[in-house]
Amino acid sequence: MTPLCCWNLEQIAPEDCSSLRPGEEALLFDRKQRFLRRCLECPRFLEDVRLLGNESDGLASLFPYAMEELLSQKMQLTALSRQFDSRNREIRFLHEIGQVLQSSMDLDEVLAMALTAVTSGKGFGLNRAILLLVDPERQLLRGHFAVGPRHRDEANRIWQEIASNDYSLEQMGQHFFEQKMVAEKDKFRDLLELLSVPLNRREHLFVKTLNEQRSLCVDDLYRETAIDRSQVEALGVRQLLLVPLVSHNNPIGLLLADNIINHQPIGEEDIHSLETFALPVSFAIERAAYYLKLQEKLAQITEANRRLKEQQNLILRMEKMALVGKLTANIAHSIRNPLTIIGGFARTLSRSTDLDDSRRSYIESIVKEARKLEEVLQEVLTYSESLHPTLDLWDVNQMLTGIYSGLSDDLRLHAIDGRLQLDPGLPLLRIDFKKLSYCIRSIISNALEAMPDGGSLNLSTRRQDDDALILIVDSGPGMDPETLQAATTPFFSTKDQGTGLGLSLCARILEGHGARLEIASELGVGTTFTIRLKLTSEGTHG
Amino acid sequence: MARLLVVDDERDIRHLYAAELADEGYQVETAGSASEAARILQERLFDLIVLDIQMKGESGLQLLQKIVKEKTDTAVILCTAFSCYKDDFSSWLADAYVVKSSDLTELKSEIARLLAKRAK
Repeated sequence: MTPLCCWNLEQIAPEDCSSLRPGEEALLFDRKQRFLRRCLECPRFLEDVRLLGNESDGLASLFPYAMEELLSQKMQLTALSRQFDSRNREIRFLHEIGQVLQSSMDLDEVLAMALTAVTSGKGFGLNRAILLLVDPERQLLRGHFAVGPRHRDEANRIWQEIASNDYSLEQMGQHFFEQKMVAEKDKFRDLLELLSVPLNRREHLFVKTLNEQRSLCVDDLYRETAIDRSQVEALGVRQLLLVPLVSHNNPIGLLLADNIINHQPIGEEDIHSLETFALPVSFAIERAAYYLKLQEKLAQITEANRRLKEQQNLILRMEKMALVGKLTANIAHSIRNPLTIIGGFARTLSRSTDLDDSRRSYIESIVKEARKLEEVLQEVLTYSESLHPTLDLWDVNQMLTGIYSGLSDDLRLHAIDGRLQLDPGLPLLRIDFKKLSYCIRSIISNALEAMPDGGSLNLSTRRQDDDALILIVDSGPGMDPETLQAATTPFFSTKDQGTGLGLSLCARILEGHGARLEIASELGVGTTFTIRLKLTSEGTHG
Repeated sequence: MARLLVVDDERDIRHLYAAELADEGYQVETAGSASEAARILQERLFDLIVLDIQMKGESGLQLLQKIVKEKTDTAVILCTAFSCYKDDFSSWLADAYVVKSSDLTELKSEIARLLAKRAK
């Protein structure tokens, strides 16, 4: 048989083979490669094979089987290679998106990037992506953000824009984040609100998928019972992919994706890819949320620091003022004594000098000038004292809270059960904070020492008619009437140590406040100290 | 006639107070230090003491504590150039606190008030 084709020649000329393409000139001299790459698809060669198969020995009739197998494997290889390319692209894409996700601390930026990736053709190419985030405070799976066209016209416009600009994925994400985020949020506001579901609706499709931490592709949403009808209508799509976002076993949110415009079926590979993608997205979202929290805390700390600095400055100023006060007091002392003597004797002299004595006017001048100097002195002192007013409006409850919190160690040490009960309706009172708190402290310290083996101490405030009462009740041994009487005299003390000034001084301080100290005591039961303060008319509730 | 003791380490102050208070009709003795005053108080009783605070040696406040501890019913007026001692709780033991002045009206009226209160 004379072959129709050139397959039996070692070398051929370009015009011998119609299957060769430009750039394949090397095949003209390589029979094996030519056969493997071109002959198998050449109709003339195939015709030769067919004719050969008709010949008597029949050996050539086996050829087509081998060729069929070869071609099929070649096709498989091409398909695999294509798949490989696509996977390769996917990995590159994941890498690209991963870098952005890792570097960004801005929640919105992360979300813009993630959802752009889901919806862009260079990414997963789904039509629409909706993100629901867990709101732990409100116990809600809240519609947070969505990306995608609402209808076909918008889709065409967007796709054309993307095609004409040839953005990279990162550029697209960035572009979206900077220019479209706000509008997009607004566009989907209704849908996002409608899709929000309370976390306690455990049977709801969204919450259930989130809790089971397994992605799900619902093929016919209209036949799904675990979702509200209104939500199905609003989504307006038959097939919906649900991918839970989970980080460190914590549910972060739920990603919904669909092909609302082109209705292309969502395949196994889409689901698998999105699941892989969901992992870094979850981490990034969680991290961004933490970062946000961190920033809030930082702002709080910065604010606290600022206030602390303010306080420090205030203290510094007060210390300076205190120094000024000390200085003026010292000056006052050294000036006041001689002034008292000069002016005092001048007054004595003036009184014993006759009215018509010419020296009398000189003496009067001395009296007058000394008086003037004293007035100046007084003014300076009044100013420096006004820096630390003694009587002022104070919240007695606040004072007691402060005293009580300073007692905790003592109470523990003496095994005393302490209790603080404050009347919140008590108005501010005009008191000398330092003196009154000294007074209360010394009553309490007496009470504590009267209970060396433990007991109870009750501090309370109460309003009674026009009085504010501070009550200090102990469960100590109590006092008999004689001891009670003696207790308020100076330097009385049943204690071995101490000044013995305590209660008498308290009585004196309280007297200065227009207040009374009442002591009721019963042997074996305990003692009740009642400080009765007058409510001031200027007092305001606070 | 009420008996007064003026305690001040400043000689001229003692003279001034003694002269002025004698004019008011009181029987006045003076002491130049807390220790001298303590000695005098051991020997004689007084109705009222005008007591300076800052003195060389023992201070007026220390003497005041002793006087109160003795439980005598002698009234004590702290008379000082310092108003800051009002914040020192040991000064609160005194019956009155007068800041020194060339005009002795306040001191005199405090003396009169306390003596009248004592007489009741």
